[in-house]
Amino acid sequence: MTYDLSMSHQSPTTKMQAVETTTTLKSVTSSRLVRTLVAGSFAALLAGCATDAPQDTWQPKGSNARMINDLDWVVFSIAGVVGVVVFSVLAFALWKYRDRGQPIPEQTHGKPALEIGLTILPALILVGIAIPTVGTIMDLAETNDTECIVNVTGQQWWWEIDYPVQDGCGGIEEPIVTSGQMVIEAGTKVLVRGTSRDVIHSWWIPSLNGKRDMVPGRIHTVRLEADEPGIFAGQCTEFCGLSHANMRMEVIAMNSTDFAIWKANQVQDYVAPVAGSLAAEGESTFISQCSRCHQVDGLTDSNDELIISRPDQNVWSGAAPNLTNFMTRNTFAGASWDLLSKECRPGVWDASPSTIGAAYLDGVTDSCLNEVELREWLRNAPAKKPMYTDPESLEATNGLVRGMPYLALSEDQIDQLVAYLLERK
Amino acid sequence: MSDSLITETVKDAVEIVKDHADDVHVHDVHAGDDHSGDHGGHHTSLGLSNTKLAMWLFLGSECLLFGGLISTYMLYRNRHSENLGPDQLWDIPFTSATSFVLLTSSLTMVLAVSAANRKDLRNAKIYLSVTALLGGLFLAGQIYEFTVFYREGLGFTTSLFSSSFFTLTGFHGVHVSIGIIMLVALIGMLSKEKVSGDDAEAVEMVGLYWHFVDIVWIIIFTVIYLIEFIK
Amino acid sequence: MAIIERPTETPDVTNRGTRPAPKASTNYGYLRRPVETTGWRSWAFTVDHKKIGIMYGAVAMFFFILGGLEAALIRLQLAGPNGTILSADKYNQMFTMHATTMVFLFVMPMAAAFANYFIPLQIGARDVAFPRLNALSLWVFVFGGVFLNTSWFLGGGADGGWFMYAPNSSVPFSPTNGVDFWGLGLQITGIASLVGAINLIVTVLNMRAPGMSMMKMPIFTWMAFVVQMLLLFAIPVITVALFLLMFQRSFGAQFFSVEAGADPLLWQHLFWIFGHPEVYILVLPSFGIISEVLPVFSKKPLFGYPFVVFSGAAIGFVGWGVWAHHMFASGLGPVSVAVFSVATMAIAVPTGVKIINWTLTLWGGKLTFTTAMLFAVGLIVQFTIGGLSGVTHAVAPSDTQQTDTYYIVAHFHYVIFGGAVLGLFSGFYYWWPKVFGKLLSESLGKWNFWLMIAGMNLTFGPMHIIGLQGQPRRMYRWTEFRAGQGFFNLGFWNLVATIGTFVLGVGILFFLVNIWVTHRPNSKTPPAPADPWDARSLEWITSSPPKEYNFARTPQVSALDEFFHRKYEDVGEGDKHEYVQKMTGEEVIQFEEDNADPNIHLPAPSYWPMVLALALPVMAYGVIYNTLLIVAGGAIATMAMFGWALEPADAEASDFDPPVEGDETSKELSNV
Ligand code: HEA
Ligand code: HEA
Ligand code: HEC
Ligand code: CUA
Ligand SMILES: [Cu+2]
Repeated sequence: MTYDLSMSHQSPTTKMQAVETTTTLKSVTSSRLVRTLVAGSFAALLAGCATDAPQDTWQPKGSNARMINDLDWVVFSIAGVVGVVVFSVLAFALWKYRDRGQPIPEQTHGKPALEIGLTILPALILVGIAIPTVGTIMDLAETNDTECIVNVTGQQWWWEIDYPVQDGCGGIEEPIVTSGQMVIEAGTKVLVRGTSRDVIHSWWIPSLNGKRDMVPGRIHTVRLEADEPGIFAGQCTEFCGLSHANMRMEVIAMNSTDFAIWKANQVQDYVAPVAGSLAAEGESTFISQCSRCHQVDGLTDSNDELIISRPDQNVWSGAAPNLTNFMTRNTFAGASWDLLSKECRPGVWDASPSTIGAAYLDGVTDSCLNEVELREWLRNAPAKKPMYTDPESLEATNGLVRGMPYLALSEDQIDQLVAYLLERK
Repeated sequence: MSDSLITETVKDAVEIVKDHADDVHVHDVHAGDDHSGDHGGHHTSLGLSNTKLAMWLFLGSECLLFGGLISTYMLYRNRHSENLGPDQLWDIPFTSATSFVLLTSSLTMVLAVSAANRKDLRNAKIYLSVTALLGGLFLAGQIYEFTVFYREGLGFTTSLFSSSFFTLTGFHGVHVSIGIIMLVALIGMLSKEKVSGDDAEAVEMVGLYWHFVDIVWIIIFTVIYLIEFIK
Repeated sequence: MAIIERPTETPDVTNRGTRPAPKASTNYGYLRRPVETTGWRSWAFTVDHKKIGIMYGAVAMFFFILGGLEAALIRLQLAGPNGTILSADKYNQMFTMHATTMVFLFVMPMAAAFANYFIPLQIGARDVAFPRLNALSLWVFVFGGVFLNTSWFLGGGADGGWFMYAPNSSVPFSPTNGVDFWGLGLQITGIASLVGAINLIVTVLNMRAPGMSMMKMPIFTWMAFVVQMLLLFAIPVITVALFLLMFQRSFGAQFFSVEAGADPLLWQHLFWIFGHPEVYILVLPSFGIISEVLPVFSKKPLFGYPFVVFSGAAIGFVGWGVWAHHMFASGLGPVSVAVFSVATMAIAVPTGVKIINWTLTLWGGKLTFTTAMLFAVGLIVQFTIGGLSGVTHAVAPSDTQQTDTYYIVAHFHYVIFGGAVLGLFSGFYYWWPKVFGKLLSESLGKWNFWLMIAGMNLTFGPMHIIGLQGQPRRMYRWTEFRAGQGFFNLGFWNLVATIGTFVLGVGILFFLVNIWVTHRPNSKTPPAPADPWDARSLEWITSSPPKEYNFARTPQVSALDEFFHRKYEDVGEGDKHEYVQKMTGEEVIQFEEDNADPNIHLPAPSYWPMVLALALPVMAYGVIYNTLLIVAGGAIATMAMFGWALEPADAEASDFDPPVEGDETSKELSNV
C-alpha cells in the first residue's frame, strides 16, 4: 500500500467536513480572513493525516478489516454526499434570503407532500446503507473457516496469549504461552478466543479487524487474517482502570517457515545459565524473588523439582506473564515499552514483509536490549506503569496486588536478573 | 351494611375504574364542591385533576422501576447453589395466602374510596384502617417468609438469586410500607380535618398507589413464585 | 401571603364580580409559610417557576465552568506525548467527572432551567402545576450536584468512566469512595429530574391557556414535553442500575461479580437503556429552542410544525429501541447487532426531518443574523456533522473500528456541544431580554459565537482524524510510537485540539463578559424593549421580565404563533399575501394589562422543599460513612414531609389559574 492511496483513504470525512464548514461560514460572512482561514484548514486537513499511524483504521492489512473498510467507503461517501447537499442548500438559503428589506414572507406552515417526500428520501438512503451493513455483519461473524486457534486473556493490564494443543496452526503439540505479542502465520485465518480474568478489556488490532470486548465469564471470538507478514499494533480499548492506556498488544504475522521456527523455539527445553555466571546468580534471585508470580517453564529448585508459580496467591487476577521466552518478544509490560533499543527497533518494525520474520526471530540480542527501561521496570514497576500495588491500601483486594509490585531489589540483583532474562529466548 | 349501600359502593367503584380507564373525568365528584374550601372549580385542560394525573405519571415511572428489578431477577433466578433455589424454598400455599390478603386490601381500598366519594368519612376511615391492617398482615407475612429463608441459609448475599430476590421483594415491601404509612397518615389527617384540598381526592390518590402496589405484587407472585410451581 | 392584589384603579372590565380574596388559612403545620419578597429568602424559599428557573440556570452555568475546567485539564494532559500534568488516577477521575458534570449537572439542569421558566409562559399559565415540588426539584439537584463534587475532597472522584461499566466499578477495582459518591449523587439528581418531569408533564397537559390545543403549543414546550416523558421512563431504569451498584459496593451483594456467576453485561444493558434516551434528553430541548429562534429571525412560521412535533415524538419512541448500538463490540450475537444497527439508522429519519424543516423555515424567509440566530444556524451545521458521524457508528462493522476511539468522542461532542450547547446559547441570547429585561451586547455576542464555533471545530474536528487513525479514548497519555510520522501526525492534532479548547474557553469567557458588561452596577445598557425580536409566541405577551403572576390576564389563544397574529394582519387578496402591522408588541401587551384579571392568587413560598432536599445528601453520606446518618436523614425527610402536607392549602392546583367564577371557557376550549 502506497502513501498516496492511504492518504485518500483517510481523508473523506475530514475533507468533506472542511468543505461543509467552508460553505456555511462563507455564507454568513464573506470576510476574507475567514475565507483564508478556512481554505488553510481545508488544505491542512487534506494533507492532515499521519501516513503511517500504526493503528490507522483506514489501512486494512487483512481480509476482515478490508471487509469493514469496504463498507466504510460506502457509508462515508453517502454521509459525505448528504452533508454536502444539506450544507449547500443551507448556505444558499442563508445567502439568498438574508434580510435585504424584502416584505414579510408568506406565513406558510409547510407543504405536506414535500415533507413526506423529504422524509422518505433519507429513509431510502438509509435502506441503501442498511443492506450492505447487515451482509457484512453476517460475513464477519463467520468462524467456520478458521484454521488456527489462539486464546487471549485480558487482565489488568496485559494480555496473555496461548496456543492450545491442536491440529490447526500447522499443528501444536505442546501448549505455548506468551504475552503481549501474538505470532501468527500470514494468510491463515486465525480464530481468537478471548476472555478476561478481571474486568472487561477489548481486543483490537485495527489493521486486521474491529474490536471485541473480552468479558470475564464469557468467551468471545474474533477472526484475524493478515495478508502479508508484518507487525500490527493494537490497544486495549475498553476502559479497564488505572493503566488502561498502557495495555497494548501486537500481532506479528510471518510466513509459514518462520512461524514453524517460532513455534519450535517456544517449546524448547529450559537451558540453565552457565554455572558461576551473572545469569546463574540471576536464576537464584529469580527463584527467590520472582517465581512466586512468574512462570519460567523448566526452571527447577534445589531439589530438582519443577517450580510452578502461584500468581493467584499474589495477584488479584491470578496471573503474571510467563517469562520462559521473554526475549523472543520485543516489547514488555502490556507491550507498552520496547525491549529493543532505539537503534535496533527500526530493524524489526520497519522491516519489509519478506524480512520481518527473520528479524523478529532474532529476538532481543545482548547488544540490542533496551536495558534502561527494563531496569526501570525491575527497580520499581509501579513507578513506571501506574498499578495498584501499595501494600498499605490493599484491603479491597484482600492483600492481592493488581500489577507488579515494587520489590526493593538492589542494583546488583537487577544486574543479575537482566543477565538472566537476556537468556530467556 | 345494607344492600343498597353495597350496590351503591359497587356502582361507584365501577365508575371510578371506568373513569381511570378512559382518562376523562365524566363525573368529577369534587370539582366545584364547596367543601374544598376557598378553591373553586379545577380548570384543567384535560379535566383530570393535577394530582391525579401526577400520580398516574409517577406510577408509570414505577412500572419501569419494577420492570428493571424483575428483569434482573429473571436473569439471575437460576444462579444459586444446589439446595438454596426457589424450588427448595418456596412455600406456595403460604405466599398465596398472604397474596390473597393483599388482594383483599385492594377491595377494602375500593370501599374506602367509594365511601369518601359519598362523603361518608366515618366508613372511609374504617375501610382505610382495614386496608392498612391487611397491608400490615401481608408485610408481616413477608417478614416471616424472609426469616424462614434466612434460617434455611439464604442471606442477602448468599447468591445472585438471593440478592435479586431480596432486592425485588424488598423493594415491593418498602412500597407496601410506604403505602401503610400513607394510609395511617391519611386516617389521622382525615380525623383532624387536616387534609389540604379535597378529602375524597386524597383518599383516591392513596388508593391509586395502593392498587398499583397490589398489581405489581400479582406480577411478582406470578413470575417469581408460580413460574417455579408450573415447571 | 403572596396574594397579589391588583391596584384598585384597575377597571373591572369583565364584570365577573370580584371573588373575595381567599382567606388565609389558620392551619400552619409547624411553621408559617415564609412571605419575603426580597432578599435571599425570597430566592431560597420561592416557589415561583421563574426564580426557580433562574437558579437552575445559574447553578448549571457554574457546573458548566467546572466541567469545562476539567476538560481543559484533560486537554492539557493530552497536548503532548506522555503528559504529566495529571496522574493516571487523577486523569481517570477527571474525565469521569467531566462527563458526569457536563451531562447531569450542566446540560440537563440548564434544559430544566429553560423548561421551568418558559413552559408556563409559553402555555399561558401562572406557574407550574406543583410549585413546591418544583422548588424541591431545584434543591435536590443543587444538593445532589454538590454532594457529588464533595468526593473530590473525600478521597477522590469516581474513576470508572461516565458509563461506569461493571465489574470495573466494583470495590476491588475502584476502592475509593468515588464510585459511591457517583452512584448516590446520580440517584439524588435523578429524583430531581423525575419530580420535575412529573410536574412539567402535568403542567403541559393540564394548564394550557384557553384555546391552546396540543397542536397550537409552542414548539419548545413540545420538545421539552417529550424530554420530560423520556425522563419519566428513563430515570427509573438507571435508578435500578444504581441501586444494584450500591448494594454491590456497600452491602456485599454480587450483582456484577463474575466469581459469583454474574453477568457484567447486565449493567451495560441497564445503563444504555437509560443512556440512549438520555442523549435525546440532552438535545431535544435545544432542538426546541432553535425551532423558536429560526422562525422569529426568518419572519416565517416553523416549516412543517406537525412534522417537527411528530418527529420529536418519534425520536422519543425509537430512542428506546437502539441502546445496544453502544455495545456493538461487547459480544452480542450477529442477529442482535444487525437489528440494533438498522434500528439506529432509523433514528436518522426523524432527526433528518428536523434538519430539513429548519432549512425550509429559512427558505424564502427574511433572515436577520442576530447572535441567537447565528447560534441556531451553528447548531444545524455542527449537529449535522455529528449526526452523520453517528450514522457511520450505526453501521456496526464500521463501529467496531470506531468504538472507544476519539472518533466517538468527536461524534458526541459535535452532537452535544454542537447540538445541545449551541442551542442553549441560542436560547440565552434570545430569551435574555425576556428574563432579565436587558439585551446582551450583540457585538460581544458575535465574538462569543465565532470564537466558540472556531474553538469547537478546532477542538473536536481533529478528533475525527485522531480517532480514525487509531487513538483510543480514556487514555491518560498517548505515545509517539502509535502516533505515526510526519508533521501532521496524531501528536499535531492532539495539540490542535488542546489549543482549540482554549479558543473555545475564551469564546465562552466572552459570554460571561457579556453578562457582566450588561448587568454591572453602572452599566449603560438600557432596558430592553418589550418585543425586541418581533417574536411570535405567547411568552412575549407580557412584560419583560414578567411579573410574578406572568400574565396580567390569562391569554386567549387562537393561533400557533399567537403573538405574531395579534401584531400582523394579512391584507393580501387571494394567493397574494401582504402583512401589515396592526399593533406593536407593546400595544398588545398594554391591551392585556388594560384588561387585567381583577385579582390573582399565587402560592406562598415554603421552607419544606429545601429541608426535604437536604435530607437526601445526609442519607447518602450515611450510606458511605455511617448508618446513623441514614436514620438522621430519614428523620429529617419524614419531618419535612409532614410539614409539607400540613401546610396551608395554597399550593392547590386551582391557585394558578385566576380563580374566576362562571368562566367555563377555559376548561372547554383547552380540551380540544
Ligand atoms: C446529544 C446527544 C446525541 C445525539 C443527538 C446522538 C445522535 C446519534 N447517535 Fe450518538 N452518542 C452520543 C450522543 C448523541 N448521539 C454520546 C454521548 C455517545 C457516546 C457515549 C459514550 O460512549 O460515552 C454516542 C455514541 C453513539 C454510538 C455508539 C458508538 C460507540 O460507542 O461505538 C452510536 C452508534 O450507533 C451513535 C449513533 C447515533 C446516531 C445514529 C444518532 C442520530 O440520532 C443522528 C441523526 C442525525 C443525522 C443523521 C443528521 C441529520 C440528518 C439528515 C441531514 C437527514 C439525512 C441523513 C441521512 C440520509 C444519513 N451514537
Ligand atoms: C454535555 C456534555 C459535554 C460537554 C459540554 C463537553 C465539553 C467538552 N469536552 Fe467532553 N465529554 C463528555 C461530555 C461533554 N463534554 C462525555 C460524556 C465524555 C466521555 C467521558 C468518558 O469517557 O467517560 C467526554 C470526554 C471528553 C474527552 C475525552 C477524554 C478521554 O476519553 O480520555 C475530552 C478530551 O478532549 C473532552 C473534551 C471536552 C472539551 C474540551 C469540552 C469543551 O466544550 C468545554 C468548554 C468549556 C469551558 C472551557 C469552560 C468555560 C469557560 C471558561 C470558564 C473560560 C476560561 C477557560 C479557559 C480559557 C480554558 N471531553
Ligand atoms: C506479585 C507478583 C509479581 C512478582 C513477585 C514479580 N512480578 Fe513481574 N509482573 C507481574 C505482573 C502482574 C506483571 C504484568 C504487569 C503489566 O504488564 O501490567 C509483571 C510483568 C513483568 C514483566 C513484563 C513481562 C511481559 O511479558 O510483558 C517482566 C519482565 C517482569 N514482570 C519481571 C519480573 C522479575 C524479574 C521479577 C522478580 C524480581 C518479578 N517480575 C516479580 C507480577 C509480579
Ligand atoms: Cu484493558 Cu483497557
Ligand atoms: Cu446511543
